[in-house]
Amino acid sequence: MPLPPASGTGLYYAKAAKSIRLIRQGCTNRPFFHIAVTHRRRLNSQPVIEQLGSYDPVPNIYNEKLVALNLERIKYWLGKGAHVTTPVAEILGLAGFFPIHPRTYMTAWRNRQAEFERLAKEAEASENAQTSS
Amino acid sequence: MISHNALLKRTWPVIVQYAEAHRKPRWVPVAKSKIYRIPKRPEITEEERIELLRVNNNYKTQMRAIRRFYHEEMIKEKSTRESSSSEMSQKLEADDWQRCVEINDKWNAQVALEREERRKKELAKMEEYALARMEAKDRELKERIEKASQEIRKQKELSKTFITPENLDAAIDHALANPVDYNFAIDLQGNQYLGRESPAIPPKHKTTPKAV
Repeated sequence: MPLPPASGTGLYYAKAAKSIRLIRQGCTNRPFFHIAVTHRRRLNSQPVIEQLGSYDPVPNIYNEKLVALNLERIKYWLGKGAHVTTPVAEILGLAGFFPIHPRTYMTAWRNRQAEFERLAKEAEASENAQTSS
Repeated sequence: MISHNALLKRTWPVIVQYAEAHRKPRWVPVAKSKIYRIPKRPEITEEERIELLRVNNNYKTQMRAIRRFYHEEMIKEKSTRESSSSEMSQKLEADDWQRCVEINDKWNAQVALEREERRKKELAKMEEYALARMEAKDRELKERIEKASQEIRKQKELSKTFITPENLDAAIDHALANPVDYNFAIDLQGNQYLGRESPAIPPKHKTTPKAV
């Protein structure tokens, strides 16, 4: 018997809860994710119902993280009442399909804060160097 | 542990590695060094907390609306699919199909024309290539024949001077009558200096008989 395809088996229980989530498909030290719909209580290593896209978290030579989404099928599964996990919701938010996820805002403002603090520290250090010399 | 029979009768291939495989079994207690460890809670300022709450509330409200929209859309689509068997919609569909067929035929004709042109071009190219190859082959063959015939002519010319059984004795006599001495000197310009002052075969030193 061949292995179940990573693009999904198309088999599912109608009344079981579904979730749209990231399924890690890369190898060691090289993450790569499929965005797939699967039963909510299933492990990520088990066959999925359907693949809805892919996400490559490693930036390519143009400093892009590539995402592919099958929006039609995502709409279909949302209509069926599928849950969406946070990482996928973030991706969909950045894609403009959902509103921006709160976590995206949070990371953004925390990064901004850290950057401001770093700049302030640098300015202070340079000032100190000037006064001492 | 999975029984052998269950393993053989499985419908899905066994997935070998689970996340649990890297972890402690459920019955193993907390490590002694970690009993009194209290994990640090994330520190969130009051300002940030309020902002997060606001953003989250907004997000949840919007998501609820989106979910409801897609759910209603699905229901609507289902109902239209069920009601699409009416005569009106069938006629519309048939018209649409007819239009599609016409467009498809037009495209096919255009593509066929282009294909024919392309094929003609390709055929002409192939012919040209084959002719060029044939010409090259002919030229090569001719050259080889020419070369061979030249060689034959040369050998025929040379064959006049060959030594055959008939003139073998005469050749031996000639060679004996005219010995050639190759022990000549030569200078930088390549001039030969024939003749020798010493005999070709050096005389043996006569050993003087010992006085008895």
